[in-house]
Amino acid sequence: MNGILVLMEQRDGLWNRMSFEALAAGQQLSAKLGVDCSAAVIGDGVAALGNELGSKKLAKVFTVEHALLKNYTADGYVVALEQVVKQADPAYVVLPHTYQVRDFAPALATRFGQVLISDVIAVHDGPIFVRQLLQGKLNADYRQTGNGPCFVSVQAGTFRADAVEAGIAAVEVFVPKLEPAQIRNKPGELFRESAQTVDLSAAPVIVSVGRGIGEQENIGIVEELAAALGAELAASRPICDNGWLPMERQVGSSGQTVSPKLYLAVGISGAIQHLVGMKGSKTVIAINKDENAPIFEVADYGVVGDLFEVVPALTKAVLAAKG
Amino acid sequence: MVDVTLVAVVEARLSGSIFLSGLQASTTLAEPVRFTWPETGLLLVCVVVSAALFFWRFAPILRTILHSKKDTDFSLHPLGRRVWDFVWEVLCQAKVIKQRPLPGLAHAFVFWGFLAFALVSLNHLANGVRLGFLPPDSYVGKFYFVFAGVWALLVAVSIAGLFVRRFFVRPIWLGTKVSYESGFIAFLIFLLMVSYLAAFFVADGGAAVKVLWWTHTLALLIFLPLIPHTKHLHLILSPLTVFLKRDGFSKIPPLSGDEDFGLVAGKDLTQLISLQVYSCVECGRCTEHCPASTTGKVLNPKEIILGARNYLNEFGPTSDVALLTDARVESPDNPAKKYMSMEAAFECTTCGSCEYQCPVGIQHVPIIVGLRRGATNTGAWEDTYGTKLFLALEKNGNALGLSAGERDKFIQKQGFPIFDGSQEYCLWLGCMGGYDPKGREIIADFARVMNYLGTTFGVLKKEKCTGDPARRLGNDLVFQTMAEFGLKALETAKVQKIVAICPHCVRTISNDWREYGIAPEIEHHSEFMARHKDRLPKQNSGESIVYHDPCYLGRYQEVYEEPRQIVSLAGDLVEAARSHERSFCCGAGGGLAFLGEERGERVSHVRAKELSDTGAQVVGTACPFCNTMFRDALSAVSEAPPQLLDIAQLTARALPPVIASESAS
Amino acid sequence: MKILVAIKQVPERDAQIHVASDGKWIDESDLNYTINEPDAYALEEALQLKEKNGGEVVVLCAGPERVTSTLREALAKGADRAIHIEADDLAERDTLGVAQMLADAVKAEAPDLILTGLQSDDLGLGQTGVVLAELLGMPHATIIMQVEVVGSGLKAKRELEDGWFQHVEMPLPALLTIQSGGNKLRYATLMGIKKAKTKETKTISAAVAAAAPAITLERVYLPEKQKKTEMLTGTPAEVAGQLVEKLKFEVRVI
Repeated sequence: MNGILVLMEQRDGLWNRMSFEALAAGQQLSAKLGVDCSAAVIGDGVAALGNELGSKKLAKVFTVEHALLKNYTADGYVVALEQVVKQADPAYVVLPHTYQVRDFAPALATRFGQVLISDVIAVHDGPIFVRQLLQGKLNADYRQTGNGPCFVSVQAGTFRADAVEAGIAAVEVFVPKLEPAQIRNKPGELFRESAQTVDLSAAPVIVSVGRGIGEQENIGIVEELAAALGAELAASRPICDNGWLPMERQVGSSGQTVSPKLYLAVGISGAIQHLVGMKGSKTVIAINKDENAPIFEVADYGVVGDLFEVVPALTKAVLAAKG
Repeated sequence: MVDVTLVAVVEARLSGSIFLSGLQASTTLAEPVRFTWPETGLLLVCVVVSAALFFWRFAPILRTILHSKKDTDFSLHPLGRRVWDFVWEVLCQAKVIKQRPLPGLAHAFVFWGFLAFALVSLNHLANGVRLGFLPPDSYVGKFYFVFAGVWALLVAVSIAGLFVRRFFVRPIWLGTKVSYESGFIAFLIFLLMVSYLAAFFVADGGAAVKVLWWTHTLALLIFLPLIPHTKHLHLILSPLTVFLKRDGFSKIPPLSGDEDFGLVAGKDLTQLISLQVYSCVECGRCTEHCPASTTGKVLNPKEIILGARNYLNEFGPTSDVALLTDARVESPDNPAKKYMSMEAAFECTTCGSCEYQCPVGIQHVPIIVGLRRGATNTGAWEDTYGTKLFLALEKNGNALGLSAGERDKFIQKQGFPIFDGSQEYCLWLGCMGGYDPKGREIIADFARVMNYLGTTFGVLKKEKCTGDPARRLGNDLVFQTMAEFGLKALETAKVQKIVAICPHCVRTISNDWREYGIAPEIEHHSEFMARHKDRLPKQNSGESIVYHDPCYLGRYQEVYEEPRQIVSLAGDLVEAARSHERSFCCGAGGGLAFLGEERGERVSHVRAKELSDTGAQVVGTACPFCNTMFRDALSAVSEAPPQLLDIAQLTARALPPVIASESAS
Repeated sequence: MKILVAIKQVPERDAQIHVASDGKWIDESDLNYTINEPDAYALEEALQLKEKNGGEVVVLCAGPERVTSTLREALAKGADRAIHIEADDLAERDTLGVAQMLADAVKAEAPDLILTGLQSDDLGLGQTGVVLAELLGMPHATIIMQVEVVGSGLKAKRELEDGWFQHVEMPLPALLTIQSGGNKLRYATLMGIKKAKTKETKTISAAVAAAAPAITLERVYLPEKQKKTEMLTGTPAEVAGQLVEKLKFEVRVI
């Protein structure tokens, strides 16, 4: 058992970008341990992707091809990858922590009597793998204590995809043994929900406006910011009461409860009825001219300033960054 | 027992006579000289038929009441209070007159007139069977019949006035349907009085007297069987209802046993409830003062009571048919229609105005909460916000669903000492005081007041909600969990005295927690401050401050003067149009602060407008919920809204600033 | 249809956390415990499937004595039976060890469908369901929002990244891990708690762990960066620039 094997993810011939973060992780771990790093891409008709990996600093690239692997199924991937891992015989298997990996990797690890160390945020000497517990309140050091390949998945953003080192690697095609009867699930087509009504609970980014906006006409500047960020527009109760925005955009105890990745509160004081509707947001940025506004207590980043100056400046900067 | 009685036409001779518009009246009553045996026989038959009809109609009602579930928490004691209420509310008609003066006085006259006529009626009928016992020419008779005559006049005028009010003025509280039965009964009463009075103008022993006598008698005997099927049942029942009222205002009875989940079906209606719903006079005073009814909601307290009555008439007191119309699987003829709907039941703020106003002793709030219990305890009530509230209380122990750590952070920031038995008071923060930014300001200011007065206090290390919203929404499981936790926490910390800024906390801890144990004594911060008012600074601000009586402090605990004393220290006290026991709800009670949007006008806006219309510069509150409700409402109803301050804030603003070296003991 | 719901009892979500003196776990002395939130959604899904298709819902939980309160709550919400796997050594077992414990109990029940939350609020490894399916040789699908019984199998709506979804058809018996928020949770009612008193809770003791754990949690500690409000200052343009930096690299929405 030697070396590192990185499992890369693709769909319909397009990379899942997080895979390259895992690749960087694998390369760095291999450098630390002084061992080889290899990579594998799995699917049907993925030769081009395999060749792309051939230009990275790797010992070997496995292009795992089979017609039954065209569409992802847990069974297909587990059966195929079990064979790949047995063939490559690595000491560490590194994966990106994607939805797909969460679906098959635990089963794969079980086949080797192992447990996946998932959603890793750092790798320390040992190697010690650091994970988060209790919704990020605590960090934990994990170490493999069993015998067999150690399965690790890395959290998005832990490693930088642009840190992948270039090089030359030999590309090998691997055809696993796979029977149709082994694949029990029938996956359907991917689809998006039709946005009939405003569903703030599904929005990843929300820009919310409160009484600080003053007049109905001024909402335009917030709308521009929301558009620039690709965010949904929401509001605190007084705005909806005045009819400046529809009731379905109200966030709060008598409106919707949201937990987006980013909640940008513009001119919102942070009364309790509003807070209970958005306290589950992952990151909160607040812009308010009152430094004592309660919203700052729940904000990760705060700006005490005039929103009529800050918001347009922010919109401009966001558009510039997006190019 | 008060009977509508009519006076037998009896002649009493006094010297002199009175001329009334050409008619010669004497001050003695004319009396039929003799009754023939057939007449007596006919009278007996009429009496028997009338009585039989009466009992035939009254017996099922009596049976329904007696067959209803027994009230397990009922006790006749304290007897003194019951006797006092009976004398004051029934005999003196105090509530009837005070809360609706003119119609109330008219009704009082009719009632007192009935009482005054009691002997006269008996004598009238007795005459018919030749057993008359009040000779018109006796000293007693002479006085009494004239006395009764004065009352007859008063009653006649009053009943005519009430008739005009009901059929021509048509106040909406009496309902939109014209009740012909009411009109007929008013007419009968009028006829009874007039036929009595007429006997003063008629010669003794003539045919006219006989006619009057029979008119009077028949009117009486027709009236009797009409009583059970109409609201006039209150004539028999309401004195009993007032006497037997459940002890305590808006008191919610404990559940009795494993099978009791509240008012789910007819078989859960207790004897007291049945008695109360049959006593309803349909006066509509409850509806008139209901914040939900007057702002366009479905809830109408009168219709809830009548709905229960109609239910009992249709399904009986042992039925399994669901009381709330939404909870019925198939929809049979629904006599209560939408008023006994789940929607209506959950629009109540439990302000208690209905119960307070009711002149016949109906206690609406336990009935409405009972209906809610039946829905919530069985899971029939599926409401997004309600569920969220219950889950928040289950998981986080506070109604806002915030982490308990937030309260800890606040306590640390303020430097409040933890209660360890050495301090005099335990300061109860409550959900608003512990988590709401405005509530926290009130707590901080009140703490400053206590420090200024040198009163030692501490806060509990771990405090959960008192369970008030769960209690009022009918979730006994959550309420029990909260109450038991709180009682244990207070006992473990060895707390003897508690002071709180929230009337809901005070009421729930001192009263509702009794079901699970006795809490230490608790008072509201207005009571505390009022006791020390001589040491608090008198401000010459010249500011006009309108004080809003919170429902749970005013009507529920009868604390009216103490907060006003504090307000008067801070400025010039102004009263709102509806104040004291008539104070109009802010709309937050009954758990409604945690439910979604209301339909119709916002209760808080109506009250905010009323307060703002006084022209006062400041609105003074004594409850953090009222404070929260008015915060947005005042800005919405007024261009230049008055300032909004709790009495603690009004007091603390005049205290000398705290120097850094001083710290809470 | 017999549905088995595997639930976990975890410390209250917003409880104050203190690291234990040995640094290996948190101080449990002042903690309140509750049902793992995604498991609550799994239970809700099971109850709704039962209401639609009939059958039985059995809840399963491994842990010390205190987990019986969570099982009781599940019974109060409508589950028919409960199984308590008595185990005081959960901290010494890894995911595979725990899944093996559950597998033994599940085999005896032979359910048509197993539901469990996609991950736990405390450890968050997110694997017990999948590992359990693998041990039992059952097909599985993860991060499921909705379940529908179709013929002799089922159709599940799977959540993917970036707002994408996918339907997956599977034969029964199968295992699904459920995502939070798919359904509206129900509250425990008084009636439910009273009925729960008459429902069966079976206690079985866990077999000794077959093998030593493959991974071990060595120590826990507070992260260096605590949640503190970072106030950004400067001119509007400067502040905007700082915010964009944060949006790009910290929040990662640009």
